[in-house]
Amino acid sequence: MSRRKRTPEWEFLRYVTLGQYLPTGSFIHRMHPAFKLLVFGLLVAAVTFSQTITVNLILLVTMVVLVRLARVPVRHALEGVRLALPALLVMAVFQVLLPPKMVTMAGSDGACLSLWAWQRFVVTDCSLRLVVVSVARLIELIVLTTLLTSSTTTTELAYGTEALLSPCRRLGLPAHQLAMVVTIALRFVPTLALQMERIVKAQTARGADFGLDGRWRFIRMIRRLLPLLVPLFLVSLRRSETLVVAMAARGYTGNARRSHRIRQRVRPADYLALGIAGAFCVLMFVLDFKA
Amino acid sequence: METSVQSTTVGVRRVVISGIMVAVTVLLGMLPVGGFIPFPTGVNATTLHIPAIIGGILEGWQVGGIIGLCFGLFSFLRASTPLFKDPLVAILPRIFIGITAYLAYKGLQRFEERLAIGVAAGVGTATNTILVLGIAVWRGYLAPDLAATIAVTHGLPEIVVAVVITLAVVVAWRQIASRRGGSSV
Repeated sequence: MSRRKRTPEWEFLRYVTLGQYLPTGSFIHRMHPAFKLLVFGLLVAAVTFSQTITVNLILLVTMVVLVRLARVPVRHALEGVRLALPALLVMAVFQVLLPPKMVTMAGSDGACLSLWAWQRFVVTDCSLRLVVVSVARLIELIVLTTLLTSSTTTTELAYGTEALLSPCRRLGLPAHQLAMVVTIALRFVPTLALQMERIVKAQTARGADFGLDGRWRFIRMIRRLLPLLVPLFLVSLRRSETLVVAMAARGYTGNARRSHRIRQRVRPADYLALGIAGAFCVLMFVLDFKA
Repeated sequence: METSVQSTTVGVRRVVISGIMVAVTVLLGMLPVGGFIPFPTGVNATTLHIPAIIGGILEGWQVGGIIGLCFGLFSFLRASTPLFKDPLVAILPRIFIGITAYLAYKGLQRFEERLAIGVAAGVGTATNTILVLGIAVWRGYLAPDLAATIAVTHGLPEIVVAVVITLAVVVAWRQIASRRGGSSV
C-alpha cells in the first residue's frame, strides 16, 4: 500500500454508548418509567406539531425548566445540539434560500413578504419563520431525548414500555414480548460489538482491508461490507438459536404472567406530572391552531 | 425432538430473533464501519434496514414490523438532523420495511426461493426509501425534485446492497439450519 489510509479504531466497544445515564436522583429520575415515557411522548407530540414561533418559545422555556428540574448539567443537555450544529446551519441556509414550494405558497393570506432577492434566491418572511421554527423544534427534541436517556436506565425503559403496553394485551398486543425484545437487544449490543471486532480481525488476517476510503470509492466500500455483514448476521442468528434453547430450557414461555423482582410504585406525583404534561400539550395545540 | 421443541419455542424464537436483530441494527448504527456507506453526494447510504428485512423473511411480518419499529425508535433517539428528529419520518415508515418484505417473499415463494428473497429485500428497501422521502416531502423538509434525486442516487445502491446481503445471509442460514458446521467467525 503506497498511500496511508485512515483506519477506524478496532476497539468497537468504545463506540457503544447507549444513553448516558446520569444519576442525579431528581424528581424526573424518580418518576415511574411508564409515566415518564407518557410525558415524554406528549411533549414530543407537542414539539413535532408546533408550527408557530410563540409556541416554540414556550417550548424552549419548558426545556430549560425541565433540564433544571432533572438537575442535568446544561452542558450535557446541549451536547447533542453541539453535535447537530453543522447540520443545523446547512439546513438553515438551504431553507432560507431555497424554501420548499409549499412554504412560499402557504402564507396565511397566500402571500409572503419578500425581504431580499438575488437571481433565483428569494428570502421571504415565511421562509425565515420556517427556519426559526424548525431550528427551535430540533433543539427541543434533542434536549428532550437527552433528558430521557440521562434520567432513565435501560432496565427502567424496558419496564416502562411493558407497563405502558400491558393494557393493550387484551387487544392481542404482546406487551411483555415487546419489552423482552428491547431487553435482549440492549443486552446483546456489547456482545455483538465484540463479535464484530473478531470478524474484522479475522477478515483482516485473511487479507481484507477495512481502511476508510474517500466518498468517491463507494463501490469499493460496498464490496468491503459483504465479508463483514454476512458473517455478523449469521453469527447473530446462530446466537439467537442458542438463546432460544437456553430460555426454553429455563422454562420461559413468553405468554405466562410473569412477575418482576423490582416493582416500581406509582406515586401521586406521577399522576400530577402526567396531568400537567397533558394540559400543556393541549394548550400548545390550541395556541397552534389559533395562529 | 426438533418438532416438539420448535412448537413450544415459536413464541420465544420470535422474541429472541427480533431482539438480536434489533441489537444488530443498533450496533451497525454506532460502529464506524458497516452501518453507513459514505457517498459522493455527502449523504450516506444505509444498511440499517437490512435486519428488519431478514427478520421479516425468516420469522414473519410481526417480527419484521417489531424490528422496524425499534430501528425507527433508535434512529429517532440518536438523530442529529431535523429530518430524523421528526418521529413521523423516523419511526412510522420503518415499521413497514419488514412487513412489505415479508409480503413480497410470501407472494413469490411459490415460484423461486432465491428470487423471492431478492425481491423481498428490494421491496423492503424501496419501502424505506419511498416512505421516508415521501413523508419528508409531505412534512416540508425536502422539495419533491430533491427527494426524487435522492431516491435515485441513494435508493438504487441501497437496494443493490440489501439484495446482495439478504440473499447471502438467508440462503446461507437456511442451509446452515439443515447441516450445521462451518467457520465460527
